[in-house]
Amino acid sequence: MATDKSNLQLVVNGILNENPIFRLVLSMCPAVGISTTVMNGFMLGVAVLFVQVFSSCTIAVFKNKIHPRIRIPTYTLTIATWVTVIDLVLAAYLPEAYAKMGIFIKLIVAFAIITMRLEMFACKESVNASFWDGIGMGLGFMVGMMAIGFIRELLGLGTILGYDILGFKPLLFFVLPFAGFFCVGLMMAFFNWIEIVYKRSKQRA
Amino acid sequence: MKDIMTIVFRLTVSCLLAGLVMGTAFIFTSKAKKHNEHVNEQKVMFSLLGYTADQAKPASLALHEVYRYVVTDQQGLSVGYLVPMAGEDKAAYTFVAIGLDGAYLGSYPVALAQEEVSELGPRDQAIAAALGPEKTIRYADETIVVTNNGKRQAYLLPGEFPGFKTFIKVIMAVDQSFTVIGLEIMEHEEDPGLGGEIVQNYFKNQFKGKSFTALKKLGVAKVPLPDDYLKALDADKYGLTAADVAAVQELYQDKDIYALTGATISSRSVTNGVKGIVKKFAYRVSILDKVLAEQQIAVPF
Repeated sequence: MATDKSNLQLVVNGILNENPIFRLVLSMCPAVGISTTVMNGFMLGVAVLFVQVFSSCTIAVFKNKIHPRIRIPTYTLTIATWVTVIDLVLAAYLPEAYAKMGIFIKLIVAFAIITMRLEMFACKESVNASFWDGIGMGLGFMVGMMAIGFIRELLGLGTILGYDILGFKPLLFFVLPFAGFFCVGLMMAFFNWIEIVYKRSKQRA
Repeated sequence: MKDIMTIVFRLTVSCLLAGLVMGTAFIFTSKAKKHNEHVNEQKVMFSLLGYTADQAKPASLALHEVYRYVVTDQQGLSVGYLVPMAGEDKAAYTFVAIGLDGAYLGSYPVALAQEEVSELGPRDQAIAAALGPEKTIRYADETIVVTNNGKRQAYLLPGEFPGFKTFIKVIMAVDQSFTVIGLEIMEHEEDPGLGGEIVQNYFKNQFKGKSFTALKKLGVAKVPLPDDYLKALDADKYGLTAADVAAVQELYQDKDIYALTGATISSRSVTNGVKGIVKKFAYRVSILDKVLAEQQIAVPF
């Protein structure tokens, strides 16, 4: 059962309709825990993008060889392998970036969004479709993380990407862990509102 | 039964494939990673000595590695130092064996190329070959003697000691009279935000300028860090000039280390670790120097 969506639709689908954080509500731990600054969100987003694309492609290639009873161990193994490879490559060739994001990368093994995407999409679809779906999901996660990071960094620290914008710290509580829930909740409401508005405008037309 | 066999077979194959991919990645990246670590270590060493990116090191500056080994044979334990030899021939090394009481036991020329000396495996093999089969050796630590125009300028002491959770790896620079020039934390796994603060300037720079006598009785004080000292310790952040910093540092020369809030154990570990490294090194280097002078072993430092 192949998907009838085009490559571009798959990518947009990951960013908007099925955004991992705001629509699928998966991988909430990093969304709440690590998204204190825009840069953190971006770095983790890039790492997730790579892991998602590689894992989706791997599973799509081997989908007929995977015994249905042991899907989950196989997915976990695949994700862990790619996470390790990316961890090694980054440590070797981008030591500066690795010093900042090294601790996050190992966490990706446990991210729900990647396993879920393998289970829902990659094990049924073609390699090409899985690749674009992986890109969409990775970008969607990155955009979500950066959006939360933007709000928290601006309101909590008064900076964006480390540059002082406001000159003071409006609400320090936004950089504390529980403020992540507020941000995610607000963003989710925003996404739902967009959907409702969009549907209404369609009905009228 | 057939199902079990397929599951076992497929899981084994996937594990093997995963292992193959990870192993290949490791082989391709390990060399670059090692190189990065080496470059980073060199950078840290020169920055500890005061040579940063905008102030290049003079050509007369030279680093000489001395490796300490523990030797076991029928007579019991003894210590050995692998020292480079003076002269044009850069690849000559000598292993100087010294008894625990400081007596000279003998020296053995070691055939080792300059590129190989920093690698643990080839170095151990070369020394073992030079010493003969009845002696077993174990690598202990490394010291780097910094010379400028052939005169000793400072010592770089890489070392590790137990922290709150695991070992903390550091590199220290001390001058000829064992006054601390600088301390850099290379690796640690202390709690972020608490013990992890040992890497911050306002903690590690407190060791800067502590003389050997002050260091010997150095303790940890559980009182807040004074404001002027904090600014002097993090001079770059607060934009203080070198003269201001020196004046404040003079004031706190003989004071104890101010403990990190919520991380007394980490603060104590670092203080005791630093103390231990310098005290042991001062003792060892005096013995080594005496032996080298008595036996007239020509070293380039």
